[in-house]
Amino acid sequence: MILEALADFLTVSELGGVVVNGLAKSALYVMIASGLTLIFGLMGVLNFAHGSLTMVGAYLGGLLMVVTVSGGTPPLTRLALFFVAVVVAFALLSVLGGAIETTIIRPLYDRPPIYQILLTFGLTLVIEEVVRIVLDVYGLQPISDWQAALATKPQFLREPVALGPVSVGWMAMFQILLGTLTVAGIWAFLTKTRYGLYIRAGSEDAEMASALGIDVRQVFTVVFALGIGLAGAAGTLLMWDPTWGASVPLAAETLLPAFIVVIVGGLGTFRGTVVAALVVGMTDAVTTWWFQNAIEFTGLPELVLFLVLVVTLIVRPQGLFGVEEVGGH
Amino acid sequence: MSVLELAGVHTYYGDSHILEGVDLDVSEGEVVALAGRNGVGKTTTLRTILQLTPPREGEITFRGESLVGLETHDVAARGLGWIPEDRRIFGQLTVEENLRAAIPEPGDVAAGLDLAFESFPILEERRGQDAGTLSGGQQQMLAIARGLVGDNDLLLVDEPSEGLAPQIVADVAEALSRASEDVTMLLVEQNLPLALDLADRFYILDKGRVVDEGETAAVSADDERFRRYLSA
Repeated sequence: MILEALADFLTVSELGGVVVNGLAKSALYVMIASGLTLIFGLMGVLNFAHGSLTMVGAYLGGLLMVVTVSGGTPPLTRLALFFVAVVVAFALLSVLGGAIETTIIRPLYDRPPIYQILLTFGLTLVIEEVVRIVLDVYGLQPISDWQAALATKPQFLREPVALGPVSVGWMAMFQILLGTLTVAGIWAFLTKTRYGLYIRAGSEDAEMASALGIDVRQVFTVVFALGIGLAGAAGTLLMWDPTWGASVPLAAETLLPAFIVVIVGGLGTFRGTVVAALVVGMTDAVTTWWFQNAIEFTGLPELVLFLVLVVTLIVRPQGLFGVEEVGGH
Repeated sequence: MSVLELAGVHTYYGDSHILEGVDLDVSEGEVVALAGRNGVGKTTTLRTILQLTPPREGEITFRGESLVGLETHDVAARGLGWIPEDRRIFGQLTVEENLRAAIPEPGDVAAGLDLAFESFPILEERRGQDAGTLSGGQQQMLAIARGLVGDNDLLLVDEPSEGLAPQIVADVAEALSRASEDVTMLLVEQNLPLALDLADRFYILDKGRVVDEGETAAVSADDERFRRYLSA
């Protein structure tokens, strides 16, 4: 039976489908984890509220889509509105992130890291409770996915597309496109702009950077805002994905894989996060195929992700591209 | 005219009293050496000027304006550059990126890079290399070049020859000597002959206080004034 499954797995159509699904999962993971890794890399702050802010982004993006899309809205218009929703969610969450950094995170920089962890964990509880209250006011179910937001997705994104012998979903291709654009955008920002140079300098040695005239506190605020904005953009994308969807549990569902990706890649390295997202996404896709087609135990793919984490921590505790110490202020 | 003045500066690390009322001044165009044994507060003096370790008492003025209470980046923006004793280069950035990070105005990048590469040609050969992979001497050259390109009026230079081979020390000394034609310097240096060669005046620091000062032209490295405070 295993040999039959292996032969099936190695056919071009199945293997191709697994690779595309793996890339789509990797794209989602990189979008979820990028903000987290940027914030930790520069500031040394482990932001436990990242998942909750991703969830807020999902609801915000969903709200924008539900308000602007009607039954007769053409597919391409829906797609254009989606991109507007991504930009708006990014902008609004960035403003929220900047406000959070300046008002409640900044006073704790000189305290031990446990203060920031407890603060962001507390922030998670507050955000989730506020979202539950708002949903209750509007009669929406917090646990299940927001179907009205899901329904704004154009029909063609629900359909498969044939790439030669491989049949994959348009949604997977769309996710790969957005993930690639996100990685390219962040990479260009970090390596091709003056502010990106300041961020990389500050993440290595904040004190020396400030002695060169770089306003490291301002850079911290911008990076925190950018990281939270990315969480919001990722949430908007997840809102259209039926395996995730806009719901309150999305906060925890995204936080765990985000931490796995960031730790496997090496805390605070963007390159490590991209590579780890590929490793974790591909592992997820391969194991999902095997546990759906050869071994019937659907809970195992998630367990395998944690196995990747455990193996990484044993073999290379600093992660694939990690340095021994990051952040510092 | 004094560019930098310290008056009655007291600095602490926690409960440890490091600077116990330091008074010194540096005039425009001068190179002033700050000498003393290990642990007497030389590096702390530079950190205090930059507000990295702010003083609890006393006044520090640069061109007549108080620096006390400013953020370090604001101090740097007023034209104070720092070449720290342990180099503190950004190891994961390239040589060129290290230099770019130190040039405040984007329009000055080309001229700044030219200045750095003219002073240390080896850095031009290594401009695309991660700075963390440079040799110790090349890292020191980069640290000095980073101080030179920053359009600074006053350079705070901390132990530039520490741990370097003699030939590299000579290159570093020559670069600092050339730089001193355009920029004022406060130099912390254990290598007394080098310090006296570069400096116009000196201060000797002991137990957090200035205990002696004078013109370098009037003394030599084996002078009794130095032996008293610098020998182990």
